[in-house]
Amino acid sequence: MSGSDKPELIINGKRLDGRGMDELRDIRIEAKVIKNAIGSAYIEWGNNKILAGVYGPKEALPKHVSDPERAIIKCRYAMSPFSSLEEHGRTGPNRRSTEISKVTKETFENVMLLEQFPGSEIDLFIDVLQADGGTRAAGITAAAVALASSGIPMSDIPYAVSVGKVGSELVLDMNKIEDNYSDADLPLSISPRTGDILLLQMDGNMTKEEIKRAIEMAKKAGQKISDIQKAALKLSYERTLEKYKI
Amino acid sequence: MQRIVVPGEKLVNTPIRIENTISDKNGTYACVLGYFDEEHKTVIPLEGLWQPRHGDSVIGIVEEEKANIYVINLNSPYKGLALTKFIDTDLSVGDIVSATVKELEKGGTVMLLKPMKLNGGKLMAVSSSKIPRIIGKGNSMLKQIMDGTKTTISVGLNGVIWLKGGNIDLATDAILKIQDEAHTHGLTERIKTMLGADPSNQVK
Repeated sequence: MSGSDKPELIINGKRLDGRGMDELRDIRIEAKVIKNAIGSAYIEWGNNKILAGVYGPKEALPKHVSDPERAIIKCRYAMSPFSSLEEHGRTGPNRRSTEISKVTKETFENVMLLEQFPGSEIDLFIDVLQADGGTRAAGITAAAVALASSGIPMSDIPYAVSVGKVGSELVLDMNKIEDNYSDADLPLSISPRTGDILLLQMDGNMTKEEIKRAIEMAKKAGQKISDIQKAALKLSYERTLEKYKI
Repeated sequence: MQRIVVPGEKLVNTPIRIENTISDKNGTYACVLGYFDEEHKTVIPLEGLWQPRHGDSVIGIVEEEKANIYVINLNSPYKGLALTKFIDTDLSVGDIVSATVKELEKGGTVMLLKPMKLNGGKLMAVSSSKIPRIIGKGNSMLKQIMDGTKTTISVGLNGVIWLKGGNIDLATDAILKIQDEAHTHGLTERIKTMLGADPSNQVK
């Protein structure tokens, strides 16, 4: 598509869905939604709807992938065939989902205390039911809640968010249409306790200053995401506590 | 004062050594979803996985029989191994056994001591972090269920519970209720009411 066909994404200082430049979409997270899994979470991030489930730790199979010093994580990110208007016909792994599974796995390898389960594997499944841009960030955010709710020790609950560039403006948390026609996209995953960046990918071009500003924007919005994650984890237990308050 | 903490949440401003936490020079942080007791400085996990330790009593199912060893499924990432020379009775695949952990070996296997066959009965699996609550202080909760239902119950720290005789359904319900409400106050009283209220539980 030539440049002139690009739709205008910012009109009168507002984005197409009425948000400001550094505004997140609405986020709602529910923890412990799948009874058979040891940990699970469901996230609604704008129009994204994603389920994450954790199984294990169990014996790592096949034997040659196991690590006698620590547990390994196996992650599977997948988009449902009905998740978006575009063709996602086959549900099997494709080039895109293999990449996202890999970066998600590496995000969590940095915050989980895997040495406590030598020789075992932890299975992490992320299924996108409805997609509207930024599913990899929303998937990591949901998976972090799912892993925390499973009781597997981890040093922090990471969150993820993407920052994009439209013209000369930096915009936070892009949706599908912005993602398709933006000049750059920078998904970030950050550990809120230490401020470590666990994932940083970039599609398009940004200057050094823009990247610095983008990281600042992501960290500022991250506090909000982090609070929602923590509230979701506590909610189910507080509900029972409330019931039997003395 | 107790409060629910999540991984990464700051507990105290100084690095101190508490179970289920990590620390750096700025403070101590929880690393599990759990209950933090500010007075006693302990973190009790709300969800959790069993970590084998010497002396843990466990319950499992014989999965495989080899020349001089039994492989026992412990409902965990670890496989239990029991040497046949220490066992008087013959075990076969599918038998339920209770045993004591000797040690966790490299490669994820657990060496077991004193395996004992449990005849008949039913097995149920619960979250292993709830086992201390199911047992209760000085066996109080377990004794209450056993007295109330006339069921023989044996609890493995790996989260497997063996039940036999009496009102098994009621005992199962009581254990599941404890599992769901382990973090609340006044649970012993509610279990007492639950066991007393069931009409099928009247001893003839």
